[in-house]
Amino acid sequence: MYLSINIDIPDGAGDAYDALARTADRVEAAKADFAILARAHGDQGLAPPRIEPVVSLPWIAGRLRTPLVVAAIPALHSVPFHIARALSAADFLTDGRCGWLPLLAGGARFDAAYGVAQPLSGGEALAKYDDFIRATRALWDSWDEDALIIDKASGAYLDSAKVRRVDYRGPYFAAMGPLNAARPPQGHPLLLRDLDEVGESATAADVVLGGLDRLDRLARAPKGAVRLLKVTAASLDDGLHHVRDGLADGLHLMGPDALELLEALRGWVDCPPYVGTTARQRLGLRKPVNPYSRKGAA
Amino acid sequence: MSRNNGRLHLWAFLQGIGFFPGGWRAPDATPRAVFQRDYYERVARLVDDACFDAIVFGDQLQGRDAAGRTPGRLAIPTLDPFTLLSVMAGVTRHVGLVATVSTTFNEPAEVAAKFAALNLVSQGRAGWNIVTTVHPNSPWNFGAADLLEKSLRYDRAKAFVDAAEVFWRDAAGLDDPQRAANLKNRWFDIAGTLDFPTSPQYRPVLVQAGQSPDGRNFAAQTAEAIFCPAPTLEAGRDYRDDIRERARTFGRNPDGILIMPGLAFVLGSTEEEAQRKHALMLELADDALCIEYLSESIGYDLTRHPAGGPIPLEQICAECEFPAGDVRRMLAPAAEAGETIADFCRAYARKPRGHAIFVGTPDQLADRMETWIDAGACDGFTLQPGYMPTELELFCAHVVPLLQVRGLLRRQYQGTTLRDHLAVGVGT
Ligand SMILES: Cc1cc2nc3c(=O)[nH]c(=O)nc-3n(C[C@H](O)[C@H](O)[C@H](O)COP(=O)(O)O)c2cc1C
Repeated sequence: MYLSINIDIPDGAGDAYDALARTADRVEAAKADFAILARAHGDQGLAPPRIEPVVSLPWIAGRLRTPLVVAAIPALHSVPFHIARALSAADFLTDGRCGWLPLLAGGARFDAAYGVAQPLSGGEALAKYDDFIRATRALWDSWDEDALIIDKASGAYLDSAKVRRVDYRGPYFAAMGPLNAARPPQGHPLLLRDLDEVGESATAADVVLGGLDRLDRLARAPKGAVRLLKVTAASLDDGLHHVRDGLADGLHLMGPDALELLEALRGWVDCPPYVGTTARQRLGLRKPVNPYSRKGAA
Repeated sequence: MSRNNGRLHLWAFLQGIGFFPGGWRAPDATPRAVFQRDYYERVARLVDDACFDAIVFGDQLQGRDAAGRTPGRLAIPTLDPFTLLSVMAGVTRHVGLVATVSTTFNEPAEVAAKFAALNLVSQGRAGWNIVTTVHPNSPWNFGAADLLEKSLRYDRAKAFVDAAEVFWRDAAGLDDPQRAANLKNRWFDIAGTLDFPTSPQYRPVLVQAGQSPDGRNFAAQTAEAIFCPAPTLEAGRDYRDDIRERARTFGRNPDGILIMPGLAFVLGSTEEEAQRKHALMLELADDALCIEYLSESIGYDLTRHPAGGPIPLEQICAECEFPAGDVRRMLAPAAEAGETIADFCRAYARKPRGHAIFVGTPDQLADRMETWIDAGACDGFTLQPGYMPTELELFCAHVVPLLQVRGLLRRQYQGTTLRDHLAVGVGT
C-alpha cells in the first residue's frame, strides 16, 4: 500500500523556509511514497502550492530522497515548452523520480494574476488541460531516448536523426520543437490526475487520485494506473477497507493531521519492496512509446 | 577575520560543458556528468568555497537545430537553469544563483513566482538575468511566428519587470507607489498578485546583458549588474563609462551597477602548457563540428554542402532562419575572398560569442584582472571556464588565493544575500 501526502508552506507560517524544510524532513523520515507539492483546500481539494512548484521541486528533492516528488501545476496558465524543459531537467537530477499533477483548481487566483479577463468554461478548460498535456509530451518526444552518444574519441555527441521538430498544433498550444533538453529518463515524467476535478480525459494518467465519493472513477482508471484514495483522519478506516478490497492501491493523506497520520501509518505499513530507481520502475509502469521514434517503441 | 568585501567581483558562468565547443572532448572533461545531480552539487560547493558572488546560467528558448537538423557534434546546452540553481541552493550557504529568463515568452506572474521560490529556497540568493530573446526560432515554440521588433521587446521588458516588482512587493508587504500603473498598462492587465511567501532581499537581484542602445538604456534603468562581452580593456572601459553615464541620466547612482564582462580562460602552470591546452581545445573542434557551429548561428544547415567547397552565399541568404541582412554582412567578405566553408567555420569557432579569452598562468590571470579593475574597465568578471570541470577547479585552487592575497577578493562572505555580495544597496 502506497502512502502519499501533499506539501506546501502553510498560510501564515512565520518562517516559510523553516516550515517547508521541517515538513519535508518529516515526510522523508516517514518514508512517504509520494510527496506532492500542492496546496490543500477543504478535505479533498488540491491546488497548486503557494511556493512555485517547478522551481522548488529540485531543491526539495534533495531533502526528500525516498518519495517520488510531484509538482502540482496550474494547467491552464502554464506553457508546455517551459514545463517540458524544467521537468526534463528535474527528471534527470532526481534519477527519474519526478512527476507532475496538472490541475484546473486555483484558476480564479491565476486568472487574476495572469491577466485573463474571461475564465474558460468547464468544457474549454478540460480541452485546454488535454492540449497542455499533449503539447508537453510531444516536446519530450522530440528526442529519442537513445539520441545521446557522447563519444569523445569520434566526436559524436548525438545522433541527429533522433532529434526532430514535432510541430505540435493543438487548439490552445503550438510548439515546434525540438526541446532544448534530452528525453527524460522516464520517457515522460509520471503524470498524476486528480479525478475530483477531471473525470474524463483523452490523455492517460499514470497515477490517479480521488476522494471516497469517486470510487467509480477510480475503478475506470487505465489498467495498471496506480490509484490513490484521498482520506483524512476521519475517513481513514474506510480508506483502509477499500485498499484491502483492492479498490485502491494506496492512500493520499489530507486534512490538518495528515503528517501525523502518515507517521502513525508508517508505524505498521511496510514500505513497498521497490525495484529500480525511476518512478516508473518502482510502480511497475511501462515507459511511454515515442510515436516519432523510428523504432516505434523507445 | 577579514571584513573586506573585496574590489573584485567574480561570477561563474557554468553553461553546459564549458566555453569551447570542442571542450566536451577533452580527456578530463565529464560530459555525461552534466546530467547528474552530484556534478552540480560538487561544482556549486567549489564556487561557494571560493567566495564568488554568484553562479550564472544562460538560457535559450529553442533547440540547436538549423533548418530542422540538430548538430551531432555539439554538446546540447545546459539543463533548465532554475532546476540547476534550485539543486545548488540546497548544498550552498552563500553563493548567489542567477537564472536567465526571457520577458518575451513568459508572464510576470509566473516569473515572479519562480524567482520568489528560488529566493526562498536559497534564503535570499536569487538573481535574474533579464533577456528579451533574439533567436528567430524561439517564437515557434510558443505558437508565434515572429519575434517582436527589438524596441518593443525592451518596452515589454521594462513593463514586465515593473509588474513583477509589484508581485514581490505585495508578498513582502511593501508599498509600490506605481502599483496600479504597473499592473495595468499597454502590456499587462493584472487584477491581483499571488500569495507566495516572501524571503530575504525580497526580490532577485536584477541583471541584464543588453548591447543595443535600447538594451543599454534598459540596463541603465533596471540592472544592478550587467553581463557583457569586452574583448579589450578599452572596450570594457568605454562600455562601463557609457552605462554609468546613462545611469546618471536616469537619476541613478552609477555605483549601483556592477559591470561584469565575460572572460573565458585556459590555465596552465606555465604559459607553454596553457597554450598547448588552448591548441587542444581548438583541435578538438574539428571541421565537422565547426561547420555545425556556424550552421546553428545562422540557422542554415551547411552540412549539406562540401566542407572544402565555396560558401554558397546566395542560397544561404535566401534560406537562413536568422535575418538575411545580418548573415550576409557576416559571410560576404569571406565568400567574396573565396574562402571554403571549412576555413571560415574554423576561424569562427575559435572565438565563441565575442568574449575575451585568456590563456596563461594563474599569476598572469590575476595580473590581468587587477589591471582591468584598476583601469575602471569593469567591476569584476563573469568567468567562463574553457571546459568543465577542470578549468574551474584550477581557477579556484590557483587563482582565487592570489586574488585574496592581493586584497582583491574577499576571504569570506560578508553577508548572506546576493545583494550583500554585490554591495550595491537596494533601490538605487
Ligand atoms: C554576455 C551575454 C550573455 C547573454 N546571454 C543570453 C542568454 O543566455 N539568453 C538569451 O536569450 N540572451 C542572452 N544574451 C542576449 C542579450 O540579452 C541581448 O538580447 C543581446 O545581447 C542583444 O542585445 P540588444 O538586443 O540590446 O542588442 C546575452 C548577451 C550577452 C552580451
